Amino acid sequence: MTARQQAVTWGRRLAAMTWKEILQLSRDVPLLLFLLYSFSLSVVVSGAGITMQLTNAELLVHDADHSHSSRELIHRFQLPYFSFAGEISDPREGLRQLDQGRVMLLLEIPPRFHEALMSGERTAVQVLVDTTNAPQGLSAAGYSVRIAGLFGSETGLASAGLSGAEAAMPRVSSAHRVWFNPTQDERWFQSIAHVLRMTTIFAVLLPAAALVREKERGTVEQLLVSPLSPFQIMFAKVLAMSGVILIALSLALYGVLHPVFHVPMKGSTGLFFLLTTLHVFTTAGFGLVAATIAKNQAQVGMMTLFVVGPMLLLSGITSPYESMPKWVQTVMTFSPLRYYIDITYGVMLKGAGLDLLWKPVGAMLLLGGALFGFGMWRFRRQFQ
Amino acid sequence: MTRPAASPPEVVVRVSGFVKRYKQHRAVDRLDLTVQRGEIYGLIGPDGAGKSSVMKAIAGVLRYEEGSAEVFGTLVDSERAAERVKPRIGFLPQGLGLNLYPELSVEENIDFFARLRLVPEPELRKRKSRLLAITRLDRFRGRLMKQLSGGMKQKLGLICTLIHEPELAILDEPTTGVDPVSRRDFWAILAEWQADKGMTALVSTAYMDEAARFHRLSFLSHGRVLASGTPAAVQSLVPGLVVTFESSPQLEAVARLKHRYAQVESLGPLLHVFTPEREPEAAVAGIRHALENLPLEHVRTDEPELEDVVVALLLKEREEQPGVSAGSDHSARPAGRQQLDGLAVEAKELIRDFGSFRAVDRVSFDMKQGEIFGLLGANGAGKTTVIKMLTGIVPPTAGEGRVAGADMRTAGGAIKERIGYMSQAFSLYLDLTVIENIRLFAGIYGLARREAQQRMEWIVEMAGLTGYENDRTGRLPMGVRQRLALGCALVHSPRVLFLDEPTSGVDPIGRRRFWELLSRLAREEGVAILITTHYLSEAEHCDRLALMYAGRIVAEGTPAHLKRQVERDIGQLMEIVADKPGLALGHVVAAGFAGAALFGTKIHVLSRDPGRDEGRLRDVLARSGIAVEAVRTRMLSLEDVFVSRVMALEQAAQKEVSA
Repeated sequence: MTARQQAVTWGRRLAAMTWKEILQLSRDVPLLLFLLYSFSLSVVVSGAGITMQLTNAELLVHDADHSHSSRELIHRFQLPYFSFAGEISDPREGLRQLDQGRVMLLLEIPPRFHEALMSGERTAVQVLVDTTNAPQGLSAAGYSVRIAGLFGSETGLASAGLSGAEAAMPRVSSAHRVWFNPTQDERWFQSIAHVLRMTTIFAVLLPAAALVREKERGTVEQLLVSPLSPFQIMFAKVLAMSGVILIALSLALYGVLHPVFHVPMKGSTGLFFLLTTLHVFTTAGFGLVAATIAKNQAQVGMMTLFVVGPMLLLSGITSPYESMPKWVQTVMTFSPLRYYIDITYGVMLKGAGLDLLWKPVGAMLLLGGALFGFGMWRFRRQFQ
Repeated sequence: MTRPAASPPEVVVRVSGFVKRYKQHRAVDRLDLTVQRGEIYGLIGPDGAGKSSVMKAIAGVLRYEEGSAEVFGTLVDSERAAERVKPRIGFLPQGLGLNLYPELSVEENIDFFARLRLVPEPELRKRKSRLLAITRLDRFRGRLMKQLSGGMKQKLGLICTLIHEPELAILDEPTTGVDPVSRRDFWAILAEWQADKGMTALVSTAYMDEAARFHRLSFLSHGRVLASGTPAAVQSLVPGLVVTFESSPQLEAVARLKHRYAQVESLGPLLHVFTPEREPEAAVAGIRHALENLPLEHVRTDEPELEDVVVALLLKEREEQPGVSAGSDHSARPAGRQQLDGLAVEAKELIRDFGSFRAVDRVSFDMKQGEIFGLLGANGAGKTTVIKMLTGIVPPTAGEGRVAGADMRTAGGAIKERIGYMSQAFSLYLDLTVIENIRLFAGIYGLARREAQQRMEWIVEMAGLTGYENDRTGRLPMGVRQRLALGCALVHSPRVLFLDEPTSGVDPIGRRRFWELLSRLAREEGVAILITTHYLSEAEHCDRLALMYAGRIVAEGTPAHLKRQVERDIGQLMEIVADKPGLALGHVVAAGFAGAALFGTKIHVLSRDPGRDEGRLRDVLARSGIAVEAVRTRMLSLEDVFVSRVMALEQAAQKEVSA
């Protein structure tokens, strides 16, 4: 056979296997429905529903002063961050409600608050915050401090006879210019994060399940005695499943992210899809390795949960990568998702190109190659 | 309890008008069945005949739509009714060791089931040691269930089912996938418990040759009873004789005989024809006439086996059902293929070690093109490893071989292009259609579009798949699936075909058709076929056989040659028909006859001198006041050959260990 004929035969084999995978997937209606849901409705739900920002924190007030100033301060705790839960006269009642978890904050204003402010005496208000939910509690405390601080300085300036604008004293003022997400729309971050999550889950699960199903049904033996190489068997699955995932991703991008949340695509769409393909291939490597170890679909499901779970939690979409302990960061250098997050936000929101992203791209290439190599080695070995 | 007094006490199970539907499909259609106390009742039929549904309903674990199932006079129609009869029942579901706990040892499994059934400890110890002794599992008490072979698992499953001494044992295909030696142990327990404890058993099987072990049986097909009664009564439904002979050219002879006879099989060099004639002379004359001028040699006439009768019944059923064709007469030949000859497989001193365990030990054999070669052996004997080495999945630890003209060690790629392989699971994609499966394998073997199209047409015609082309494979009957799998294995016109237990779960007609295809492939196209099977009645089809034990080939030759060898070693098989067979067996054993065993109502013994022994047997039984109806010699079956060889080797191995 000439080299050309060999290449044609090789291609024919890969095409036959890939087409088979697509046919099989197209007959699996429940899986298809799940895929459709994950990349459409579920993106809408999580984009609109999940938020890390402080919203509707229940605030209880014990105002022992009932003055102009105390009312002014209370009114600065505003929606959407705080919601006024009522006023009480007995501070012990406030503590009880905090303990029961019915409110998150208790604001206590002492008697003679207004008088003290007017006469320039020192005075203090107390805020008790339930920080059982640490991020929420801490930001509630932070906001409260800022509100009280601003109120204090403004009252101070006013009593000195100056309005804020006329204040000629030297001070540092901060002015924010928000880049990349100018309206600070958190839904952008959350909806993209969800799409990344789904892409990753399916990239691990689909090829792994397809391979394990062949082991369960015994069809893999038939493939092993055929002239197919392990690479053709495994790569055909990844190829078919990547195609399906890319289609699902386009659905999420053009069916949800753009029209519903108005997420922009600042960089090159082509680059984004190309790098997504790379991510899917690399991540699929994990699934294939798991599939060479697992004996059945239940096992492979559990194993992918082990891999995907930490990957989703620790790669930087659920919590910031930089805030994690050093060793977690080291472990996560093996997570393709970690690089894919940089790439996605980079391309979509910052308009980055390969010149900026070559590092994560290189890391993914290395990781993907290593995983595929290992998976193929395991695949060959397990039948001997 | 609808009719507590009306049921005669000796009836243990009474099923009438029983209907079980799965969605629109009627799995069981108005079935009647009565099992009496103390009998071993058989349900025989192919996969999907409805056996399991009936058995589950009787065991009280399956709802049914119409009719009634009464057990011990209690109508089993609700959970509460089922609970009332369950303590008196033992149920072994289908599947190897599915009722057992893999992480528990043999003994722990038995103890668990016994304690679940509140068996008193001293009684448990007694029964356990007896059951472990007859099943020869006592050496493996401490072994985890998951480390047992398939046959051992099944024997353990039976022990766990019988440990509480149920009055009725319901055993669903207990011997499927179990090697012949374990199968004999299995029947030994059943026979003993039936004789000693008066246990009743309802047993289903797909093995036609086990039918003789039942007192009465029902043959099921498509959810209906095709025939029922004692084995002799079923046999007499289709009277006739089986004529076995040689003729050549064999294919021409088959073609001529097929015009006249419905059942023509080629068994290696032999032809096997079921004739409706009852006189041997007339039967042979009829065949001679059909053969015209072809030779007729080594003629032998026998009473038909139950399988011949069942096939005749099935063929009749299909004729009565319009729309279900008995299969097209396929005369398709691949265009322009030349006859292959020479050696197809040469294996020299093949060895394969897994760690310290030697799975295959110096195996050597040759196979010619056009030869059907059978590899027999119990689970774990090394058959599958030999196939895996020859097909290039597993490299040999030592030794060499050539497959399809290429060296095993250096030309793995070339071998893979020249061989076909079909596994037990049929290895088809059930969610693809027939055509899509064929097209996939054509693509895997790199066939160009035109070539693929030609082969596809050939396969559809050869395997009788016309009309099924666009059906999902998962919805096809097993027989059709099997032929499709064979077709897929043949898509690239391989020179050597490897078949690893390819006929499990296929009905007798399907199996015969499959063998017909195989012998055409071998005879017409010179394809060499290596086949492993548990179905020893099928091994008769092979030209040559090799028997494997503990990784080695311990016997090799034609089926007839192997039988003659064993006959020299252990004697001929004699069958005794007597009244009170249980009692008679005791006397026969006491008189020192070798290999005495109960086969349903008949007794089998081995004899080196049948002429002399027949007289002795009649004397012994006459003195005990037992009437003897008949004593006759029978041909040893390949199963007898297999069991006797393996048992001898096992005994030798044990002696070696104890010495």
